[in-house]
Amino acid sequence: MPFSNELLSVSALPEPSQIDFEFLDKRFLPMLLVSNSILASVLLVVMSIARFQRFFELPEPLLDVYFPALIVVTVYWLLTCAHAVIATPFKQYCLREHDLHYSSGWVFRKTVSQPISRIQHIELKRGPLERGFGLASLQVFSAGGAMHTFEIPGLDADAAETLRTFVLEHKDTHEHG
Amino acid sequence: MNTGSQPPTEAETTLYSDRWQRLSPIAIIYFAASGIKGAANNLIYLLPAFAVSYSSIKENPGTWLPILAAVIALICIASVLQYLFYSFRLEKSSVEIRYGVFSKKHVNLPFDRIQNVTIEQPLYYRLTNTSCLQLDTAGSAKQEAKIVALPQLFAEQLKQRILLQANAQSEDTQTDDTLGQSFESEDILNTRSMGDLVIHGITNNRVWIILGVLAPLYDDLASFIGAYIESMGFDYQQYFDTQAQPLWQFALAILALAFMFIVSVTLLSILGSIILFYDFKLSKTNGRYIRRSGLFTRQEVTMRLSRLQLIALKQDWLDVILRRVNLELKQNDAGVRNTQGQSTANKILVPSVTVSEALEITEDAFDQNQLAKVEFTPISYRFIFRQLLTWVLPLFAILSTIAISQQNYLGAAYVAVGACVVMIMVWCRWKRWGFASDNEYIYVRKGLFGVDKMCFPKYKVQQTQFIQSKLMKAKQLASVRIILASGSVSIPFIEQKQAAQLLQNTLHEVSFSQRSWM
Repeated sequence: MPFSNELLSVSALPEPSQIDFEFLDKRFLPMLLVSNSILASVLLVVMSIARFQRFFELPEPLLDVYFPALIVVTVYWLLTCAHAVIATPFKQYCLREHDLHYSSGWVFRKTVSQPISRIQHIELKRGPLERGFGLASLQVFSAGGAMHTFEIPGLDADAAETLRTFVLEHKDTHEHG
Repeated sequence: MNTGSQPPTEAETTLYSDRWQRLSPIAIIYFAASGIKGAANNLIYLLPAFAVSYSSIKENPGTWLPILAAVIALICIASVLQYLFYSFRLEKSSVEIRYGVFSKKHVNLPFDRIQNVTIEQPLYYRLTNTSCLQLDTAGSAKQEAKIVALPQLFAEQLKQRILLQANAQSEDTQTDDTLGQSFESEDILNTRSMGDLVIHGITNNRVWIILGVLAPLYDDLASFIGAYIESMGFDYQQYFDTQAQPLWQFALAILALAFMFIVSVTLLSILGSIILFYDFKLSKTNGRYIRRSGLFTRQEVTMRLSRLQLIALKQDWLDVILRRVNLELKQNDAGVRNTQGQSTANKILVPSVTVSEALEITEDAFDQNQLAKVEFTPISYRFIFRQLLTWVLPLFAILSTIAISQQNYLGAAYVAVGACVVMIMVWCRWKRWGFASDNEYIYVRKGLFGVDKMCFPKYKVQQTQFIQSKLMKAKQLASVRIILASGSVSIPFIEQKQAAQLLQNTLHEVSFSQRSWM
């Protein structure tokens, strides 16, 4: 029996690859850049303080790697920023009547689909930076385990709240839990 | 034996009396046993201390006795305290347990949230006809409770009552009468004979259960065996001395040693298999599977059929030769800590059944299942290229460059042989991997030297993933990962169209079938 798979009554529904996806909020990329820059500058500052303080002597090998380390951190910062700029447009999501989809990845593209009827609970996550930018991440948990938490980052806070309410009030959520 | 001979009604009236009650005093032994187990596990952390003070201990071993006595006394006192502070109360539809000496815990478990009921009877409980009832709940917040010592008969009744409650919740149509009758009718689906268990011991490494017990004694055992062999006038050092021996004798000695090692490990493994699976019975009653087995500790695991997520027929290469299958019935696995063996009840393993028996059980569990007949669609040969390009060839290039730059040509030869072996393995992996689906089920076949076949109903899927690299897109290929409550299943490098259809169809089935996954 070769692979046989008649579409049942779903011809009205598009395939996951042909769904019209929405982009993340415009503020998400700036937030990523700021977050990367904060991390890099903290590293640079800590390293420089350690290098130039006069309270204790650093061992010789550590002093030698100070400048190479500065360069490594700077390159790392540039790379993460470049990655954010390139990858963010590929992060897209979509909400259908019965499922949520999140697509990401530039070279390796991955589309995760989460049926609403299998959602166990749902969380809005807002870190300090996200709050500053008025953004939120939506986390959806199913019985598939913590490894497979469905997450849409970079949503407008109000949009995320609307999404959450939609899922919580969806009839599928009530019937299966 | 007194509790066993009591009429059930009496046991029920005394135990259901809505007030807090104690366990059987035999529970003290249980607490002591788990205390000793815990102490043995923590012994590893003390090893450095032993090593440091080894010589001083050797001089006056007397210092040990008070420490040992203190540990034993501590365990005894702790067990009695644990017993005294443990109480439970049964209500109409829930069980409450209070326990803990210093940090008190209070668990309230409604029956309808209980996923598994496991009855365990360690060896020392047999005399008094007592058992231990373990209750697991499902869901993202995993919770479990153990009623440590109950009269066997009462444990049995309580189990049925809990499962009844759970059933009554989901199947309102069933009347009490039919439920009551169904207790007696228990169909035995499978039993394992001693011969089957021997086969299972050979084909599956069950050594760990023995090794785990012996772990603290390794060093002593090794030196004891060495001394014993020498005392028999067998000078093993002579056999492994390359200077004194021609090469073939040396090789023979190595071979003999390897053979002895394999035989003894196999024997231990057979022993482990018998300890775990002695008197194995898989039976079915009223939509539930029950597994009973165990030589010393008898274990009874009950799983509701509706909780079953995936069935896997696993064959290692030796199983393929012997035509045996390890059948795994898997249920909700999320967030369960990884324990060795199957002490946790998240799957039922039917050891070393024949292929036809395995298919019989599969068809019994999953109605209309086509696993016996289905033809698997192979994955694309480009899967091999991906493996070669992403890690096999780069690794080979790096290792052989290092070897050649060191002028180590023998090493380079080893690397080349290793690369060939890995390529053969990649080829095997590709050859095994395939998938199929019908209206209700998805079937996946995979493996390396052995073959695993899995099947699961589409409506039990929790999440799907569609994965595609740029190169794969150019060749119209895609990988698929399907997440179930029992874990994820992946199918790499299939035609993009098939992948999309498979997922689309599955998502549709999940949303429109309106069937609960548990």
